[in-house]
Amino acid sequence: MNRRKFLKGSAAAIGAATLPTVSAQAQAGPDKIRVGYAITQSGPLGPGAESTVVSQYKLWNKRVNDAGGIALKKFGKKVPIEMVSYDDQGKPDELIKLVERLIQQDKVDMILSPYATHMNLAAAPIVNKYQYPVIMTTSTTTKTYDLSKRLPYAFWQIVQPNEATQPLANYIGELKKQGKLKGTVAIVHPTIEYGVEMHEAFQNAAKKAGIDVVFSKSYPFGASDLQPVIREAMAKNPEVFVAMSYPPDTFMLTEQMQVVGFNPQIMYVAIGGVFPTYKGKFGDKVNGILAYGGQDKAVPGYAEYIKAHQEFHKRDSEAGAVSVYAALEATQQAIETVGEIDRPKIRDVLASATFKTLWGEYKYVDQRCSSPWAIGQWQNGELVGVFPADKQGAKPVLFPKPKWS
Amino acid sequence: MVLFEVFINGIILGGMYGLIALGLNLQYGVARILNLSYGEFFVGGAFTAFFTIMLWQYNPLLSLFISMPIAFAMNWLIYQYLMTPLIRRAPDQDALDADVVLVTFGLFFVFQGLALVYWSGDLRGYTFLSTPVNFLGATLAMNRLLALLGACLIAAVLFVILRRTRFGAALRAITIDPVAAGLVGIDVRRYSALAFAAGGALAAASGMLVSTFISFSATTGVAYTLKALIVVIMAGVGRVTGTLAAGVLLGVVEALGGYLIDPALTIAINFGLFMLILLLRPTGLFTRA
Repeated sequence: MNRRKFLKGSAAAIGAATLPTVSAQAQAGPDKIRVGYAITQSGPLGPGAESTVVSQYKLWNKRVNDAGGIALKKFGKKVPIEMVSYDDQGKPDELIKLVERLIQQDKVDMILSPYATHMNLAAAPIVNKYQYPVIMTTSTTTKTYDLSKRLPYAFWQIVQPNEATQPLANYIGELKKQGKLKGTVAIVHPTIEYGVEMHEAFQNAAKKAGIDVVFSKSYPFGASDLQPVIREAMAKNPEVFVAMSYPPDTFMLTEQMQVVGFNPQIMYVAIGGVFPTYKGKFGDKVNGILAYGGQDKAVPGYAEYIKAHQEFHKRDSEAGAVSVYAALEATQQAIETVGEIDRPKIRDVLASATFKTLWGEYKYVDQRCSSPWAIGQWQNGELVGVFPADKQGAKPVLFPKPKWS
Repeated sequence: MVLFEVFINGIILGGMYGLIALGLNLQYGVARILNLSYGEFFVGGAFTAFFTIMLWQYNPLLSLFISMPIAFAMNWLIYQYLMTPLIRRAPDQDALDADVVLVTFGLFFVFQGLALVYWSGDLRGYTFLSTPVNFLGATLAMNRLLALLGACLIAAVLFVILRRTRFGAALRAITIDPVAAGLVGIDVRRYSALAFAAGGALAAASGMLVSTFISFSATTGVAYTLKALIVVIMAGVGRVTGTLAAGVLLGVVEALGGYLIDPALTIAINFGLFMLILLLRPTGLFTRA
């Protein structure tokens, strides 16, 4: 299979006007589906991109090709994937150039999401301009609510700040109504965009739910000692402690709360709280802790996925990686429903169909995942999804959180 | 009462800063090599401790018997085979500094790349001595206290070696004037190599001690190189007890400022103090003028 023949074939399938089409070859269909992505592989964001995203792209590539490829029913055959990837070095301008290169020079059939909120936001207008439907997997910001109207080709996989924080505020409000709590909350966050946006979203949700935020302070990202902040929060005697934290401070807060014996009845940490290494560090003390993200390990296909993951990567997966894999499954299902690489049609299917993935059954409403896992909780040493409460596989919240010792 | 606790915790935090910086001060102060890959040995010590407790289920302190000799040997080799050619060909100290920064910056990428390949980019942490200790009513974490004690112990040993032994006298002579030291018969290259290697071993030791209470990954090394550098410059190159004191000063100011003003400002306060010292005493707090 030479490159020219492939290009003609796929171009015919796309129906794009840029290349001449040859009907005999179009009938045969493409021999490959070229999938491209530019993502951070060097620099501080490289490791996170590798463990949450790239590892899933590679695993998906292998599993799909082992199964014969993606089914294109128009041609009555399965077509394997070929991946094309570049390193954006964590620079948004580099990412934009590389995405354009993937589209214009490599002429890939599909594009996959880069890593981290600001990079996803940089890529979204480009893929939209060239009408490549892409599910942005690792982006959470209140800007998404406007973007979904303006960028019809960009889809958003994980939970956005409002949906991430409302269930917790409402749950505390509910406990207050039932008289189980007075509804006093302490909230802390690191001074980075994620922390600030999550903090604002929670403050708004708390107001609506009628609960009292009795303490609210920020701390610098990368702080070496958070005991003073914890002490200040403790002094207000809150029943609920909420930290819109990032991985290193998620770990530090959890440890220092144990040292000073701070035992709120509800404890929430944001990113990092669902990591297997979090459980690895704290063991059974994680029980009852709520965290950003979640998963349902009973979902069909999870056992096969985790087995393949263990064999391929020699390590466990985590909730964030599962959400990325789910986006790949949805992309594949949309392509298979259309039956050819017709990107506007694939976009329409993504925007309307229901997908069955490792993240459960969901649609993309306004291009946002309709029921992404918002909050998970450690129960009996396992991470389970608890919010949204009406999502299939959601478990009831364990309340109150067991004391540290 | 809380203020007292914040103060004591500031001392402990500062002890950690001093601990991280001690090894770099040996490398920079005595051997005159600004090693930008310093933090990678810190990370190496942290990972060795992590594997010792999580994989082999031994006390992480035992990992010092592995990580310190390895770091010592590697730094000795770096000095002998990478730095010595640079020192030989450099016309003056400024040219040498530029070469050294480039080479050790390269080493930083090599070590971090290897760490990422073999240890992955995952955030690691383990629980060791995270028990509260009551000190005059203030609650302290045992593992952080241990790091402070480790810092004091290392500083004391270094102080005795530098002040009370012939070897130490030679090292001090090199710190003050390497050319003159050579003229009076001190084998500058051999002694500098040993000081450089010992600095690397101390980096590994500090990585081990800090890993008991701060989570880390293959990429955290550079942050500690920078922190150590700030403390070394604050203290003045070649000052051992001064390094510890500068670290403690930084920790106390950071803790009190964070508590009394706003925790969000701690890093700003840190750098504010750093700038103030650079302006008022550019050669460091503890150097003789």
